[in-house]
Amino acid sequence: MIRHTFTKETKELWRDGRVRIAFIIVLLLTVIAVIISANYYKNVNEQYVEASANEREVWDNQGEKNPHSAAHYGTYAFKPKYPLSLIDQGVDKYTGTSIFLEAHKRNEAQFIAASDQTGLARFGDLTPDFILLFIIPLLLILIAYNSITKEKERGTLTLLNSQGAVGWKIVLGKWLAIFLPVAIIVFVLFVSTGFLLSNLPDFGVFSWSSLWTMFITYMTYYAIFINLVLLISASVKKSGISLVLSLSVWILVCLVLPKVASNIAEYKYPYPTRQEFAENIAKDKKLGLDGHNPWSKAAKKLEQETLKKYGVDSLSQLPFNYDGYRMQKGEEHEAEIYFKHYKLLKTQYSNQNSIYKILAAVSPYLPTRFLSMAIAKTDYNTHWDFSDAAENYRIDTQKFLNTHFAEETKYGDWSWKADADFWKQLPKFQYEPPSLIETIKTNMTSIFIMLVWLFGSFTLLFFTTKSL
Amino acid sequence: MIRIENLTKTYGDLAALDTLNLEVNKGEIYCLLGANGAGKTTTINLLLGFIKPTSGNAFINEIDVVKKPKLTKNHLAYIPENLMLYPSLTAIENLDYFSGIANKKLKKHELEAFLVEAGLQESAFNKSVAKYSKGMRQKVGIAIALAKDAKVLLLDEPTSGLDPKASNEFGQLLQKLRQKGVATLMATHDLFRAKEVATTIGVMKDGQLKQQWSVDELSLKELEDSYLETMNYNSLQS
Repeated sequence: MIRHTFTKETKELWRDGRVRIAFIIVLLLTVIAVIISANYYKNVNEQYVEASANEREVWDNQGEKNPHSAAHYGTYAFKPKYPLSLIDQGVDKYTGTSIFLEAHKRNEAQFIAASDQTGLARFGDLTPDFILLFIIPLLLILIAYNSITKEKERGTLTLLNSQGAVGWKIVLGKWLAIFLPVAIIVFVLFVSTGFLLSNLPDFGVFSWSSLWTMFITYMTYYAIFINLVLLISASVKKSGISLVLSLSVWILVCLVLPKVASNIAEYKYPYPTRQEFAENIAKDKKLGLDGHNPWSKAAKKLEQETLKKYGVDSLSQLPFNYDGYRMQKGEEHEAEIYFKHYKLLKTQYSNQNSIYKILAAVSPYLPTRFLSMAIAKTDYNTHWDFSDAAENYRIDTQKFLNTHFAEETKYGDWSWKADADFWKQLPKFQYEPPSLIETIKTNMTSIFIMLVWLFGSFTLLFFTTKSL
Repeated sequence: MIRIENLTKTYGDLAALDTLNLEVNKGEIYCLLGANGAGKTTTINLLLGFIKPTSGNAFINEIDVVKKPKLTKNHLAYIPENLMLYPSLTAIENLDYFSGIANKKLKKHELEAFLVEAGLQESAFNKSVAKYSKGMRQKVGIAIALAKDAKVLLLDEPTSGLDPKASNEFGQLLQKLRQKGVATLMATHDLFRAKEVATTIGVMKDGQLKQQWSVDELSLKELEDSYLETMNYNSLQS
């Protein structure tokens, strides 16, 4: 019965001109989106590789220089572009791609792609994730909204019932006929993307397992959507009403609830303004040690403690350059302040996330969105992780420079310069993003919510259509 | 094959069917006559298990339709007034699907044979049924019944809207099925067709079976008079 219904529905769908046209449009849009994204990804990746190499070359070849001057001269940490960002660009366009690493200061990521775009950017980009998250559910609605109502309207349901049809088997046949063509289109999209990424030079840390995890995520999303639309189609008598209700669900799930979630999260757990954030950091910095200011109370205290610790009377008697030592202590103090204030930001982010997770219970779009971005490594978590890695590298770089300055020179010798080869000893910045397993672990709530949606909607559909 | 005992269906105070008793045996065609709302379609819907009776029993092949509705459906076929098929599919595909739903696995030549038996022109087999006339659709309905090898056929106004030729062909098909031993219960308004095809005729009014004759007992004229008398139409005309 399931197979017969599947075959019949597939024939009907294929012979329906509307569905054929819709499929062709979606397929074309998908191909265009993949081509656009692949070009964008390729360009950004080339820029990343080139910028990273150039920046390192500049660092390595800065010649003889005082290490603290080099610390202020700074360097850049570039965020790698991950292969699956070709499918889901996530928040990458809004978070920036590079962080300037310098002494005394933790900078935020710069070169935000969205800031370079015109006002047209407000309409969004034609990207694969846009098609996967918004357009394909619309296609599913178009295919499925009258799947059961048409049987009622035509009167074929009566004949089916008289033939001994089992409601849930008929619906499962219809379900498969709706799901499979969409699954095949998305499968082709994912496989071609996979091959495209595997063949790009410097394609980064691409993994097929991440690609398939993302594929399964979207398939689950579509399964939920089909269940919802079929539930509506089974519950109402007219196709027109089914279409309106299904579109209302799409608007609510994909457009309204994510924005409501965003507004509630912002309202309940607001981030400090950039000005407030900078002022708070400056205030805390003033209360502690400034590596450049030997006359402050904190600097004097450190001086006394150091002299006592080494059992000497003057700074020049210390076995290292106290200026370098003080610089490092100042860095450590400032790093703690940045850590404290960024932790507050992260707490707010985490609180906002919990709001999203609560609202994900009423919109399957939200957990799908979070999972997709997380797997593509284009979510906020990955950005925070990159930002923290860059900050750790900055702290290590300052320590590397200050220690060299302290150990190689004498107190007051600010004119000393490190060898031209010294800079090459600084390890390169290498960022390892969270692995797929780590990503799955941190997104267990989203996975759980999606599974609840999937099994809940299947159960509801089963009981609603048990006897049609 | 069909046995109905004191079958009653009420909606609040309204009795759509009132203690109906009738029996249709193998190779019999029982025509239920009556005005709209007399209870003919309610009887068929109760036998199909689409609605539950308030009281009484109904059996198809001695299987209780209330207790085992799925099982009874294995033994019956149903053709409604307007048989609706899947318009984008051909007759063969429609027949294949409906037979598949009834768990009948048939090959293409078998499906074609049923359509031939039902009297459908071969040139129409592979055309979309969207272009079919009502008569052609009813023939596909008969083919579905034949393919199912149903022992009981329930027909709800099957000849309504058919032209005389198509109606006559339909009658001949019913006779063929009768010869095969199929028990048929047909609700109809068509007194003349009923006289032509039925073995037994019953007249329903207000949910009750008012009269029942063997078709050999009466001439068409007598049948018409008795029917009109039962329905009180004569008094209205005078």
